[in-house]
Amino acid sequence: MLPLRIAWRFLRTSWVQTALIVAGIAVGIAVQVFIGSLITSLQGSLVDKTIGASPHITLADPTEGQPVVYSDFMKRVLAGTKGVSAIVPVRQLNVLYSNNTDRVPLGLVGGEAAQLNLIYRLRQRTIEGDPSLKQGEIVIGSDLAKKYLLIPGDKMSVNSGSGMQVSLTITGIVDLGSSAGNLRTAFVGPDLPRAELGFRADQFSAVQVQLSDPFGSTPIAGAWRGQFPGVKVSDWQVDNKDLLQALSSQSLSSYMIQVFVLVAVALGIASTLAISAVQKTKQIGILKALGMADGDTGAIFVWQSVIMGVVGTGLGVAVGFALIAGFTFGTAKSGAGFPITPQPAFIAISVSVGILVALLSAIIPTRNTARLDPIEVIQNG
Amino acid sequence: MADALVVADGLGKVYGTDIQTRALADVSFEIAGGEFIAIVGRSGSGKSTLLNLLGLLDTPSEGTLHLRGVESNSLDKRGRAALRNELLGFVFQYHHLLPEFSVRENILMPYLISQKPVDDAITARVDETLEVLGLDGLGDKSANALSGGQKQRVAIGRALMNRPPIVLADEPTGNLDTENTEAVYALFRTINEEWGTTFLIVTHDQDIASMTDRILELRDGRLVQDIRNSYTDGGARKA
Repeated sequence: MLPLRIAWRFLRTSWVQTALIVAGIAVGIAVQVFIGSLITSLQGSLVDKTIGASPHITLADPTEGQPVVYSDFMKRVLAGTKGVSAIVPVRQLNVLYSNNTDRVPLGLVGGEAAQLNLIYRLRQRTIEGDPSLKQGEIVIGSDLAKKYLLIPGDKMSVNSGSGMQVSLTITGIVDLGSSAGNLRTAFVGPDLPRAELGFRADQFSAVQVQLSDPFGSTPIAGAWRGQFPGVKVSDWQVDNKDLLQALSSQSLSSYMIQVFVLVAVALGIASTLAISAVQKTKQIGILKALGMADGDTGAIFVWQSVIMGVVGTGLGVAVGFALIAGFTFGTAKSGAGFPITPQPAFIAISVSVGILVALLSAIIPTRNTARLDPIEVIQNG
Repeated sequence: MADALVVADGLGKVYGTDIQTRALADVSFEIAGGEFIAIVGRSGSGKSTLLNLLGLLDTPSEGTLHLRGVESNSLDKRGRAALRNELLGFVFQYHHLLPEFSVRENILMPYLISQKPVDDAITARVDETLEVLGLDGLGDKSANALSGGQKQRVAIGRALMNRPPIVLADEPTGNLDTENTEAVYALFRTINEEWGTTFLIVTHDQDIASMTDRILELRDGRLVQDIRNSYTDGGARKA
């Protein structure tokens, strides 16, 4: 491995130049790793906040207020579909919360606490109390609690349009991630809405479904439309086109940044190697005169690229992780923002691209080296 | 000469395509193993061109060149590089050492290029070379740390590392003072006599040429004289 040995020696003897280009690669890759993980985590956080605690596909009757029948066939189809992570049949009832001063419209979501937890994550989102949903109990949003100074244990009176009036005990206060939800949505057990709506045991306002991959909702919803004629199948992606457009634009801008960073890294390595090739012209000429083949002299520059590429990329990944850790620590301390999760697949791609770019940068010096005539070097001293 | 080490037959070299310049024309000679030869001539006479052809650094426009029976035109670039590494040692006017490597590594470089394993015998050969060159104890020093004369001796050591049958030297003492010049030629002669290495030395110095066994004189790209020195009769004779 003489070319590797010579490459290493060349890099070592010009260590300042080597350190600068390795630092250049490291900065480029660190930016890649950080920006890539930041954008991906930001999008993940945005998607999670927006639709993480809401259904991705909803099956309901096309006529508002009419129930959908949660038949055995529907149960089997939904449960048997790959990618479905939660199925929650709910009964929704609009009521008015009355107190001494105000009458506030509230959307009650009725269901079994364990099932509601699967989609709405009430337990994780509880900021006060315990989200129990036994008969006569209610879980409310944090904005409603704050506005009317409600705490767990308080009683609240609700009226339905049909004149029913019920007093419910608040068991928990949850933060649903949006002020509208926190003010207008509350959760109760399955019996209260069913009684008021007059639904049979297999009738629900909607069957809500969450998927392990929210972005896989469209084909699943399409398939279900075919299997359940007469049922309205709503896809979150259709209902949130603006969000998807924003996410896609964000991805595009992220890719643009990454491409330009890579181009800058490639130009940096290529120019340094080209300079190195010129600086080492004499040595390469002598090695050729001593009998080294063109392929081997070219391999010296390929090895230089590999060494700088691997070391620079490794350092870049380490710096990228440090930046991620620093960012996460900073945002956690200030209580703002979101945690960045390093994306292994993305980092693997960045590393591969970094090393590939380094290798491609060796093409020009390798070609120039192959063309070098040792006679010129010898005669020019 | 059936056992000739070098056979040049009608060698010619023309540079350029649109405007052609002839550097060498119809040069023929044979060299046997163990000869000690000077190539002389004025500047532009074709000495360096001939040396480049003999050193397989360039290809002839006309004629053929055989090195130990191998016709140089039959080889591709890689083949010429391999044969150069095996059969030829070079000593240039400037030492052309690799400053990134130690004295020992510089001497070893042609052997490393041949991609053969470095065993104890090779390490001993480097030590022997260092000793012959009077560079004992300097093996681990950087090539840059030596004086001009020492550097040129390292370059000679490098040329001898693969124990090539032929050493080509192009004005090898052009940058050295008188004392070092004499030392270098004494060294060449010792190696020539003890190891049987053939030396072809390009020089414009008639004194140096007179110390060799045979002189090839070039003029305007042509071989005009092939003279053998005779120490026994104290003079030179025409070939």
